[in-house]
Amino acid sequence: MTPAAIRIDDLLFRWRPDAAPAVCLRGLQVDAGKSLFLHGPSGAGKSTLLNLLGGVLLPERGRIEVLGQVLGDLPAARRDAFRADHLGFIFQQFNLLPWLSALENVLLPCRFSRRRAQRAGDPVAEARRLLAALDLAAPVQGAPAAELSVGQQQRVAAARALIGRPEIVIADEPTSALDAARQDAFIDLLLAEAKAAASTVVFVSHDQRLAAHFDASFALTGELPA
Amino acid sequence: MLKRCLLLFALLVPMLAPASDYRVGDRLPAAKGSAKGFKEIMWDDLMPKGWDPMAAFKGIDLNKLQDNDPKAIDLLASVRKEWDKAPVEPALNGQRIRIPGFVVPLERKGDDVIEFLLVPYFGACVHVPPPPSNQVIHVVPAKPVKGMRTMETFWVSGTLSLQGGDSGMGVYAYRIAAERVEPYQVNQGKKR
Amino acid sequence: MSALPRLALASAWNRRLSLGLTLLAVMLAATLLLSVERIREAARDSFAQSVSGSDLIVGARTSPVQLVLYSVFRLGEPTNNLDWASYQKIAADPAIAWSVPLSLGDSHRGYPVLGTTADYFTHFRYGDRQPLRLADGVVFAGIFDAVLGAEVAQRLGYRVGDQITLSHGDGGLPGMAHDDKPFTVVGILAPTGTPVDRTVHVGLAAIEAIHLDWIGGAPVPGFNIGAEVVQKFDLTPKSITAFLVGLHQRAEVFRIQRRINQFADEPLLAVMPGVALDQLWQTVGVVERALQAVSWLVLAVGLAGLMATMLAGLDQRRREMAILRAIGAGRRHILGLLLLESGLVSLLGCLLGLAAVSLFAAVGGDLLAAFGLAALPLAVSVGEMKLLGAVLVCGLAVGVLPAWRAYRLSLADGLIPRS
Repeated sequence: MTPAAIRIDDLLFRWRPDAAPAVCLRGLQVDAGKSLFLHGPSGAGKSTLLNLLGGVLLPERGRIEVLGQVLGDLPAARRDAFRADHLGFIFQQFNLLPWLSALENVLLPCRFSRRRAQRAGDPVAEARRLLAALDLAAPVQGAPAAELSVGQQQRVAAARALIGRPEIVIADEPTSALDAARQDAFIDLLLAEAKAAASTVVFVSHDQRLAAHFDASFALTGELPA
Repeated sequence: MLKRCLLLFALLVPMLAPASDYRVGDRLPAAKGSAKGFKEIMWDDLMPKGWDPMAAFKGIDLNKLQDNDPKAIDLLASVRKEWDKAPVEPALNGQRIRIPGFVVPLERKGDDVIEFLLVPYFGACVHVPPPPSNQVIHVVPAKPVKGMRTMETFWVSGTLSLQGGDSGMGVYAYRIAAERVEPYQVNQGKKR
Repeated sequence: MSALPRLALASAWNRRLSLGLTLLAVMLAATLLLSVERIREAARDSFAQSVSGSDLIVGARTSPVQLVLYSVFRLGEPTNNLDWASYQKIAADPAIAWSVPLSLGDSHRGYPVLGTTADYFTHFRYGDRQPLRLADGVVFAGIFDAVLGAEVAQRLGYRVGDQITLSHGDGGLPGMAHDDKPFTVVGILAPTGTPVDRTVHVGLAAIEAIHLDWIGGAPVPGFNIGAEVVQKFDLTPKSITAFLVGLHQRAEVFRIQRRINQFADEPLLAVMPGVALDQLWQTVGVVERALQAVSWLVLAVGLAGLMATMLAGLDQRRREMAILRAIGAGRRHILGLLLLESGLVSLLGCLLGLAAVSLFAAVGGDLLAAFGLAALPLAVSVGEMKLLGAVLVCGLAVGVLPAWRAYRLSLADGLIPRS
């Protein structure tokens, strides 16, 4: 049986002690190497859940276990290091530092995590390979990120999330800003590279039509569990 | 921002304070430092026994004299004549002694002092009669002294010698080849 | 962590316009601080070493600082002269080993002329008891002989054998030249780094000679005594500006000083050069401290500008911080990034300020010479390094508030900033 890459039990998070719960979840498990489609209405707490998975926030109640490590057990600095080593993120928009080139953006995780730099082998070569695999030709790679189109930026973000083969890739509505034709292409490229790297993918979106690409699906409701 | 202004101001204040809190005529209190092989002497020891600097004032009531009184002027003139040929104490020649005093720098090398005079009281060169010549020591330190300004207080430790007289007058003067020159600190607080 | 400096640089370059302006402010403040310090040190050194070995300087009664300024540094005008007879009387005191009379008032093309005796060249010392040396030629002997200071000879291109004419006063007014009585350069002194270099030295008799046919400070039209004829006149000076005194016993100085100060025939002032200089420094010291305070205030303004710029830019950088946090940047990275930025701006400001001061030291020589200062040193002094270190520390401290605020913002924003 493949071990669980992510395991969440009885999660509850509130922004302030007197506020309504922002995230409420009885249980969630994602096996290693699989892809999960996480959907739910606006306000259901998807972004907050991603922050919790990333170790940026800690739950009020419950337990989040990533790759066998309970995030709540680690101090803040170690959580940051854990995130650098094992997680890759893609956001909906504005993923890149506009004053760096596409290539330099992709290389950023290797500068913050020695583990990922090692797993990438030769980081520069690996970055170029990833960008090429994601359909970004060599001249584009050296261009400042501000000059790229939205589609190109999203693909650079994907390459950045994938470099160094992190065990988990988390994508938060990465295709919302793309047109329909590009959306499928993007997801296919992303999943192909993730599979090659044996990474687990958590894909958040409100668009149910995309669910078909993924191994499993989970609905995040805004309601309290019974 | 306010904190920085206050800090700056606090730093400035000591810079604006006056350098010394002695008044004209002040002598150094008898605070003792450690001797380390030097015999510590007082300024009075430099005057031979039997020579009284105040001899000329005996029998005169100074309170009765005005500043411009010709008797006062004559008195001062005769006192000065006496003090000009004040004798030295020959027993001190060649002794290794230690004495505190106020300094008057003579020669500098850059900002360091390489020759200076040592006198027993504050303001010796300006407002009060000059000290008798057996109360002035010409000091040549072994190493240039840093941070010495006129009328600051220092301990001088070295070998005392008597310098031969100038032509015709046979006046001798004290001289010290100083091995150590250290700032003088008053442990029991300054007189005001 | 080696990623941080590169990131900080790239991020700062992206905001180079606003950061550049604050850099300019810091650089100006650093330049001001360093200039004040360097000029202060150079002035002290150069003044302190201008006269040595003289126990007293005596002149007509004026302020001690003023006497030293015009007799040693040739700055300012002498207020009055003293009688030759008084000088003779005082110099006869057995306690005095030597004395050298000085007569000022004339000039040559902007350089002061000093009338004195040949004893000047044997008794005058400077620096660490260094005597004057001749680079070329001999000391004056004839009436119209002149010995030039090193700078005069070099700037005006004179050599031994050249002829020069002197002017009365500072030479500014027309008709004040003594051009009927030219002088011959017989000697040039080696450089000393003191006002001696800027002086033209002639004999006392020569000063008398060129003023023979002048009355009350101006030439009399139609009344002219030629150079060849002057020898026939009595060229003993009637008055001199000041004289230097050396004693047999240095410890006697107070006594002799008091005697001269109470000289009955004429009001005189005797000062000990070292003491007068200390007095000068006390006065100047107040100005120095004021200048230093102003410099530090300017720095505070510059650094406040830096902090304001950094704080104002934080809003725009929230996305930047969120991206970095997603990649794994932690508290120390965020703090480090901003501290690096303020540190870099301060460091660059210091280095540029230092370069500016060195440039000024290299090319500003003429301006300084007008104030009697020798050239500014080009090298950095220990005191200056300490100042720069203090500026750097302040600059780093300025980054602490923005750094902390950036971290707090990033915590609030998480990985996905709301903006």
